[in-house]
Amino acid sequence: MLRDIKALTVVKALAVTAVVMVLLTLPSLVNPYRLFLVSLVAVYMVAGLGLTIIMGWTGQVVLAQAAFFGMGAYLTAYWHEWMPWPLAAALACLAAAAAGAVIGFPAVRLHGFYLAIATLAFSELVRRGFVELDSITGGIAGTDVEPVQFGGLDVAASQWYLALSVAAFALLVAWRIRVTSLGRCLLAVRDAEVATASVSISAARYKLVAFALSAAMGALAGAVYGQLQAYLTPEIFGVGLLIQFLVVAFVGGVTFLLGPLLGAIFVVVARELLQDLGAGQRLAYAIALILVVRFLPSGLAGLPALWRRFRTRRSAAAPSAPAAGEQPALASSGGDA
Amino acid sequence: MSEQVVNGLESGSWYALMALALVLVMRATNVPNFAMAEMGLFGAFMLWTLMDAGIPYFIAIPIALLCGALLAVVLERVLIRPLLSESEFAGVLMTIGIFVGLNALTQLFWGSQPREVDSPFTASWDVFGTRVTANQLVSLGLAIAVTYALARYFRSPGGVRMRAVAEDRVTPRLVGVSVSWVFRTAWAVAGVIATLAMVLQGQSTLLTDQNAGSMVLKGFVAATVGGFTSVWGALAAGLGLGVIENLAGYWISTSARPAVALLVVLLVLLLRPQGLFGTVRTREV
Repeated sequence: MLRDIKALTVVKALAVTAVVMVLLTLPSLVNPYRLFLVSLVAVYMVAGLGLTIIMGWTGQVVLAQAAFFGMGAYLTAYWHEWMPWPLAAALACLAAAAAGAVIGFPAVRLHGFYLAIATLAFSELVRRGFVELDSITGGIAGTDVEPVQFGGLDVAASQWYLALSVAAFALLVAWRIRVTSLGRCLLAVRDAEVATASVSISAARYKLVAFALSAAMGALAGAVYGQLQAYLTPEIFGVGLLIQFLVVAFVGGVTFLLGPLLGAIFVVVARELLQDLGAGQRLAYAIALILVVRFLPSGLAGLPALWRRFRTRRSAAAPSAPAAGEQPALASSGGDA
Repeated sequence: MSEQVVNGLESGSWYALMALALVLVMRATNVPNFAMAEMGLFGAFMLWTLMDAGIPYFIAIPIALLCGALLAVVLERVLIRPLLSESEFAGVLMTIGIFVGLNALTQLFWGSQPREVDSPFTASWDVFGTRVTANQLVSLGLAIAVTYALARYFRSPGGVRMRAVAEDRVTPRLVGVSVSWVFRTAWAVAGVIATLAMVLQGQSTLLTDQNAGSMVLKGFVAATVGGFTSVWGALAAGLGLGVIENLAGYWISTSARPAVALLVVLLVLLLRPQGLFGTVRTREV
């Protein structure tokens, strides 16, 4: 038994090392276009992590992620003209966090649908702002993004390492939030908002923190997206993008740390397979969203747990019906557990 | 300027109708239906298809309204009802999914080019220097008629049953209210009203697959400002929104038009979350 656990740890460590090795050497393994797609997965994952924080853990229906994403993309591109990229991105995240807190401040009083419609209106207003503020955004015509290039690497590889480091950072931050008291307080606000006051947890304050964190996460993703896209126009950041983020968060599993990764892979693969059909692509996202909400509320990341429950139910049912055919299945399922 | 007001009242009546459909669904099933306008757009495109096949307008209209109602009933039964025991999260997401899916299907079936609906209401008159079209009068008249009918209905026994089910899904059953009957009726009638709104808009402007996205947002704005509990509030808010939008386009700039509705709903929600005409509903703990 003990040896089993040790072997499992070794296998896990080996697998993680292998994945890290592959991720680090990816530019020499795949062509630049594939590399772009994998970078896109990283970007979508980070934006989805923002939704995991505010929707999954804090339980607030917030439909403004496309706006924060756009703020990150535009502001980073704008400030990057004067300062190094990481500093510009950090400032953009701060600005988005401030915007998130500003909209969150009055919005903490709103619930469910009203919060959804208020944040959706805010998001569309911000997009109107992208059109109007043409000194920063270039208005309808759009604006160029100056590429970041690390010494000795080509553009695609630089983009990839940027996306990879940002994704790793975002995952680390989200994981820290989840395992510390902050994460537990957010869950408490979601599950028992009324009771939080009695244990001196200010639901409003934690909601605000979640708003700001989620907005900053969206802006961080947007900052990298600007690099991948090289050209930004206001219509990128509309309801279509919001739908993609919702698919990333909910198809992956909105309460799981790795849910957005699965969701992002799904979105990018669907986008790739149905490239030429704008309508076909949206239909695929819609069907995925509908099926997940209807049949798989915990998303793709919830499948292993579902499978385990299914197996326990089967093994629990087996003793009452000890048919000959059942026995081998039971034995094998016990063996690899 | 009076021209702007008249045009505003016309588009305002479509917003009001959309808001009424949303209020009805919200009142009966407590689901904010982001797909409401797409359901209506399906009916409107059915009207276009029937008329394209040579069927006269007044025969095609009831069929189109029936199609809108049928779609709403089927979607409610298959996709919405299984979720009603879950959080409001699920309802929001599901209707967003239906919205995207229906929009994609509309585009796949009917394409993206604008279609013209030949309505029989082509007359127009000159009233004190302002042009008034028959389409505008029909839109406004229908919006008022539907509001009146709904206000009457909510006070009738059927309407009271509907409101009871929205408040609490268990207790009304004990006194013999069929919850599934209430849901089906609400969605069917909402489907008819939404189709009406999309047909009126389509025949006055043009019918495209893009019509529903902004329409559902305007409908939500009107319903929210009007307060989800008041049908007359929804009518007033819809008409007001249409007029303000047109005046803003006239006085400020045409690019300010789309921002008006968003600004209005944001301000109203932040200052008076229950809407201008709504009553406060205490939250369950």
